[in-house]
Amino acid sequence: MSGYRSTTKLALASSQPSVKTVSEQPAIQVSNLSIVFDTNRGQMIAVDRVSFDVAAGEFVCIVGPSGCGKSTVLNTIAGLEVPFEGEILVEGSPVGHPRPDIGMVFQQPHLFPWKSVRRNIAHGPRMLGKSAKEAGAIADDLIAMIGLKRFADAYPNTLSGGMQQRVAIARALANEPRVLLMDEPFGALDAQTRAVMQDNLLELRDRIKATIVFVTHDIDEAIVLADRVLIMSAGPGRILREIAVNLPRPRSSAILIEPTYLALKRDCLEVIRAEGLRAFNQSDSS
Amino acid sequence: MEIGAEAIVQNQTPKRAAVTTGADRPGRRPSSGRFRRLNVLVGVLSIPLFIILWELTSRSGIVNMVLFPPPTVVAAAVLEWMRSGQFFWDVAASLYRVTAGFLLGSALGVLLGILTGQFPVVSSLLSPLFQILRPIPPIAFVPIVILWFGLSEAGKLFLVVWGVFFTVWLSTHIGVQKVDRGLIRAALMLGTPRRQMLQEIILLGALPYIVVGLRTAVSISFYTLVAAELAGTFAGVVYRIEIAQQNLQTGQVMGGLAALGLISFIADRLFAALAERTVWWR
Repeated sequence: MSGYRSTTKLALASSQPSVKTVSEQPAIQVSNLSIVFDTNRGQMIAVDRVSFDVAAGEFVCIVGPSGCGKSTVLNTIAGLEVPFEGEILVEGSPVGHPRPDIGMVFQQPHLFPWKSVRRNIAHGPRMLGKSAKEAGAIADDLIAMIGLKRFADAYPNTLSGGMQQRVAIARALANEPRVLLMDEPFGALDAQTRAVMQDNLLELRDRIKATIVFVTHDIDEAIVLADRVLIMSAGPGRILREIAVNLPRPRSSAILIEPTYLALKRDCLEVIRAEGLRAFNQSDSS
Repeated sequence: MEIGAEAIVQNQTPKRAAVTTGADRPGRRPSSGRFRRLNVLVGVLSIPLFIILWELTSRSGIVNMVLFPPPTVVAAAVLEWMRSGQFFWDVAASLYRVTAGFLLGSALGVLLGILTGQFPVVSSLLSPLFQILRPIPPIAFVPIVILWFGLSEAGKLFLVVWGVFFTVWLSTHIGVQKVDRGLIRAALMLGTPRRQMLQEIILLGALPYIVVGLRTAVSISFYTLVAAELAGTFAGVVYRIEIAQQNLQTGQVMGGLAALGLISFIADRLFAALAERTVWWR
């Protein structure tokens, strides 16, 4: 997975203070975001007055049960979910339509089946007006970074689920987005592949400068990856608690047995259990 | 890591498979091999056996040989047809009608399928009309086509185009609508302009459906060719069959049927080969 070519970049990136820098302006500012869906049983409040900031270079995970609106929040930041109330600023400017400085990785890889790995990754740069040669060079760099050189000319249907998702990540990075949004990208993978992918992502993250917002329902995944975890509740979606993850970096999935890690996990679980109980009692009485 | 996981799985399954086959059917294997060889042999003999049986039946006196001529007589009639030079012109005329009608009908079908699949307003305008016209068998249009076009080539073309159009339109329409919305979202996030979405994503996403529609349309174009040529013309394979029927040249009639079957079969196979290359990523 790691090559000689990348180690220099890695050293460069880690020598810069990446996480704790508080720049004058957060990369993402979400204020009073509410999203209401029209269903056949009337209006449903999916997300209720959610506010949070993400600092430049920060890695934030949003955790919550399915249906809590965490994916909807992400899609809204991406500019894919249009009607919403409140304000979302990414890099200082309001969102409302997809922007090339915002990259997105979905739960399914959604690779273009008719394009080879190289052409899939080169798609973004091509669409932004780069020549085929430039786009190809960008793609080749990223292919080396995700360790799929042997599969550069393969078509997606010949790759495993984990490989496909690596290509999807590389494809999202090809436009050098300032903000990378990830919607349960490892949710469809088996446990072993998922652990490897988490380590890969942390490694990759050291080399790119993007701010990352990562949605998952897996608390372990959130704590391993994030600088900060936002815990959401369901029906309507709200942010219950914000937990800073002060575990040292570089991290790997090996921290899963550290005492400090376990303490953090207990905090998260308590919040989630209390909320689950509340939701259960509420649905019981209504 | 994935490779490692695969290796584990591979190590386990053969063992399990070996256990089950070893336990309950040790004696089956050789006989299944014999069956396979028998199947191949029977398959090779299928058509020769049929022809021999046909020849014997025709010559046995059970049936009227004029109405049910043996294959040798049919072959002689086909050779005579070829030697007269009519065969070439008949095949050329029929192929021209099928090809021109297929190309025109498909082009219209794909174009309108994209429009109705992509734009709800166009779909609301045209789909109800197409859905009403589509179930009418194209052959039923022969009388009115004769009224409109007489015995001209335009009438033949109209019938084949009519037959091909609806199938290709429907499959294109469905194909465009079934394009994975996730692909469109992914393309949007990568900066694909909406006006390039058609060529970058939708056409290719719909291509497998379009190809299936086109392949169905190949055989439909032959069905409608039959109707078109029976409606009256001056050359063509089906026209020749009809003339031979009027002269009670049953051998020629059967030869014509065989020729039509062969041409249609080759067209289908060629298209299947072409289709496999069109959807290159499968």
